[in-house]
Amino acid sequence: MTTDQPALERPAAGSRGIPAFVVQVVTGVALLVLLALHMVAQHFIVPTGLRFYDDVIAWLGNPVVVAVEVAFLGTVTYHALLGVRAILFDFGFSERTERRITNVLVVVGIVTVVYGVALLAAIINAAS
Amino acid sequence: MASTTVEPRRPEPGPARRRGFVGWFDPRGRRLGGYAFILNRLSGIGLVVYLYMHLVILSLLVQGPGAWDAFVEIALSPPVLVFDVVLLAGMLFHGLNGIRVGLVGMGLVVSRQRALFIAAFVVAGLVTLVGALRIFGGEG
Amino acid sequence: MTETAAELRTTRFVVSRRKEGDDPGELRYDTFDVAVGPRSTILDSLVSIRRELDPTLTFRHSCFHASCGTCGMRVNGREGLACVTPVPEGGEVMVEPLGNIPVVTDLVVDMDAFYDEFDEAGRPLVRVSEMIPGAEMAEGIDELERYEDCIECGICLSACPVAGSDPRYVGPAALAAAWRLVDEPRGRDPGPVLRLMDDEQAAWRCHLAWECTEACPSGVDPAAAIMRLRRAATAARARRLFSFGGTR
Repeated sequence: MTTDQPALERPAAGSRGIPAFVVQVVTGVALLVLLALHMVAQHFIVPTGLRFYDDVIAWLGNPVVVAVEVAFLGTVTYHALLGVRAILFDFGFSERTERRITNVLVVVGIVTVVYGVALLAAIINAAS
Repeated sequence: MASTTVEPRRPEPGPARRRGFVGWFDPRGRRLGGYAFILNRLSGIGLVVYLYMHLVILSLLVQGPGAWDAFVEIALSPPVLVFDVVLLAGMLFHGLNGIRVGLVGMGLVVSRQRALFIAAFVVAGLVTLVGALRIFGGEG
Repeated sequence: MTETAAELRTTRFVVSRRKEGDDPGELRYDTFDVAVGPRSTILDSLVSIRRELDPTLTFRHSCFHASCGTCGMRVNGREGLACVTPVPEGGEVMVEPLGNIPVVTDLVVDMDAFYDEFDEAGRPLVRVSEMIPGAEMAEGIDELERYEDCIECGICLSACPVAGSDPRYVGPAALAAAWRLVDEPRGRDPGPVLRLMDDEQAAWRCHLAWECTEACPSGVDPAAAIMRLRRAATAARARRLFSFGGTR
């Protein structure tokens, strides 16, 4: 059992940026579209459903596809890590710990997107 | 005659009883909204784990057709197909309940929150069923 | 017509205990076997225990009819007012104090911190009544008024899963009170209260579990109030954003 703090404390004054909840809603709405696009290819456009190597490479040859995938990766990473942050913040850690958590998640997010873009480039490169 | 005054004294309060983060996932004593909270949190965590799994697996594509197509063989095996159905259910529920959270959570259609949860659950279930049939039917 | 005493059954109560000096991490329960009738409430049984079995059992109560909000506690894990909670049939009955509020002793929690948040949120007590639209007003009375529904029992805060893991969350009761003020200012300026609650630890913290509204014994619907607060806060921000040269 953790040491207890008073049952209710004053909310931190001046947390004035856009509420994280609102950002989640915006990225969530974007994901409804982007995820649908991401999944659509597998079932409705490519006949064999992007299963085999050659299909995937041909698919990634389309710049629109690449653009959508990068947008999807960026948005889903943002939403996912902001969600992880929301869950972690429900533990009631100190403000300092929370700032550290945010910083770590920002770094993880950047690394994830950079990795994804680099991977896309490497795949397209390896195939040509 | 000396008078005795007893000062009323309040005992020091002890800690509050909190269900803690384990309590987030405890469905006992909860109702529909509480189940929505639990499922959204579980599906969210599951999807984050899946995201990173997926990103790692995709690196096989760099290794060329041999590595990738070998993986696809495994991906078409029944245990993985079951996993796909679970993933589909998680995605659907999280997205559809997310619509409820997004709308109601911004103060819109608040009085319909219960109906929205039921609709999200039912639609997620139905589409998962259809998806499962397609996945195991070989079209997925 | 004479009525005979109803059939009594014996029910085992498992009651949470805490006295000063207990270890903070310690959870103690005492077991009592109590004769219970078909219309007995939890409060009836607690009074019975105190009177006949253990006079040191401490709990709060006042009105005996769900109007004062004093006897909030958890019965078999579910929040409720003890005075109107029937004794569940079949099996043991576990009685615990409200969650998420410091425990003073046995089933008594420290409501000070809970009440303090209301002062900041505004404490609107009387509102224009919406209940009788077509009522005929007596001479000299312009409008009908009534007390707000909230009886400040703390049940909503106990039910909240977010408050269950984070003590900094302001909680549904204070937020609902803030909303009541924003919705019907009654001569006060709702701006500062809205700005106070437009905060990550206040209105934006809710994860829509809706447990507060489900548990509320008085029809306050704090969850809806929180969502409406969010909408009002967003609208206020938009207004500030688009008013050049205006002040917050």
